[in-house]
Amino acid sequence: MKRLWYFFREAFMSLRTHQASTMIGIVTTAFTLTSFGTFLLLYHNVHNLIGRVQHNIQIIVYPNDAIEPHMLQDLKKAIQADPAIDSLTMISKEEALKDFKHQFPEEAYLLDGLGKSPFPASLVLNLAETIPSTDAISNLVNRLQQNPNVERVRYNRDWVERLTLVITYMEVGALIVGGALALASITIIANTVQLAFYTRQDAIEILRLIGGTNLFISIPYLIEGAIIGGLGGGIALGFLRAGFEFFKHKTHMLNVIGGFSSVIEFFPFSLSLLIILGGIVLGCLGTLTSMYGWMRFRL
Amino acid sequence: MIQLFHVTKYFEGCLALSDISLRIEKGECVLLTGSSGAGKTTLLKLIFGSEHPDDGQILVQNRNIARLRRADVPYHRRTMGFVLQDFKLLPQRTVFENVSLPLIIRGLSAFESRRKVIEALRAVGMEHKQTTLASVLSAGEQQRACIARSIVNSPIILLADEPTGNLDPQLTTEIAELFKKINARGTTVLMATHNRQVVEQLNGRILRLDCGHLVSDQGAYA
Repeated sequence: MKRLWYFFREAFMSLRTHQASTMIGIVTTAFTLTSFGTFLLLYHNVHNLIGRVQHNIQIIVYPNDAIEPHMLQDLKKAIQADPAIDSLTMISKEEALKDFKHQFPEEAYLLDGLGKSPFPASLVLNLAETIPSTDAISNLVNRLQQNPNVERVRYNRDWVERLTLVITYMEVGALIVGGALALASITIIANTVQLAFYTRQDAIEILRLIGGTNLFISIPYLIEGAIIGGLGGGIALGFLRAGFEFFKHKTHMLNVIGGFSSVIEFFPFSLSLLIILGGIVLGCLGTLTSMYGWMRFRL
Repeated sequence: MIQLFHVTKYFEGCLALSDISLRIEKGECVLLTGSSGAGKTTLLKLIFGSEHPDDGQILVQNRNIARLRRADVPYHRRTMGFVLQDFKLLPQRTVFENVSLPLIIRGLSAFESRRKVIEALRAVGMEHKQTTLASVLSAGEQQRACIARSIVNSPIILLADEPTGNLDPQLTTEIAELFKKINARGTTVLMATHNRQVVEQLNGRILRLDCGHLVSDQGAYA
């Protein structure tokens, strides 16, 4: 308990005593995490938008005209059981005719003499929001096409594949940019902590003199790194929120991309916590990197 | 207690200690003398584990320091105290906080810690200064606080490297007297000094080093 008190007291005293290097550490972490967070926010929203678009992509299945009602039920059940499918809507021949008349009232007279609806019944499938892979969709479409009770299946394969490719590119991009920014942040924090180490050489030497282990000497610095990183993360989150609100307000005022501002959203609570946690982890990693180099050759 | 067998140490190719062999018994008061650069500090550092010998073996309480793993060095240091010429106190901490540091490292309880710190401060006559910041202490007081910190763990061996180097003759007498008292309580004292006054006052065994060679050993136990 006394040790724990000592570690925290040392960390806070050090933060207070070395205000300049503490500020540099917090500002650089905040800047790095704001850059990373901006990218993450962009990725989060584009990913969401693509998810929505993909959710709106429909697969239309036309069953045979002569299909028995119980077979149609079996087909519907089989489709609904597939994880790639979110929902299924049955459109009967009569509903299809009604829809046509509703959508094209001026051409409705063309069908007046037919009596019976010339349109086929169809099953409209909406894709799951978790964005199934193109393989999963292709497999489903192939299975449906081979079903003897299915006349035809229609869906925009190219569009789905392109969307999936965009998501893959974005994920790879997020990994590369995120990794590079995290590395930069670790380096900056490591340098800040190393600077702190240089200014506190005497204190470290004293602790070594009286039998302090590397771990004992390091813990206050680790706490210090975590505090710097956590504060940097908090500030970055504040900047991101302010920037997001500003952007949302501007796009709303200018009515950019037809109501785009109503679609975009900020990080959910869990992801916001992750930014702060990320700052803490970066702070600790920066300290560890710095300490490894510092203590490696010292007895 | 401390045994050196043919210990040799080089610093960047220059000979610092050459073929030193000696034995120090428990409770002895040993004074390392010699001119600057004779190898006194190097010898203390080797015993303390902050340097490794290039040749030979060092046994401290039957533990071979030459083969000590890096991770074991701090635990070795906790068995001894080290007093330096430049005090090495944390200036922005109180005397109490400075002296209690070795006990925090060992993980002693607050109650036990307090008792030991007060005892150590009383032994050096600094009990009344426990709440004073180290930065405002006089040189003599700083050295007393440093001695209190080095004995607070009740070490078996106390090493001192020119502990009176920064003090005037009056304070030198007082500090030397402290070491005498600590030695009288059974602690082995090994002190590097070229202060004749201290040598005469402590009246211990005298090891004289010259250019890394042990040239005389006066007053050794038979």
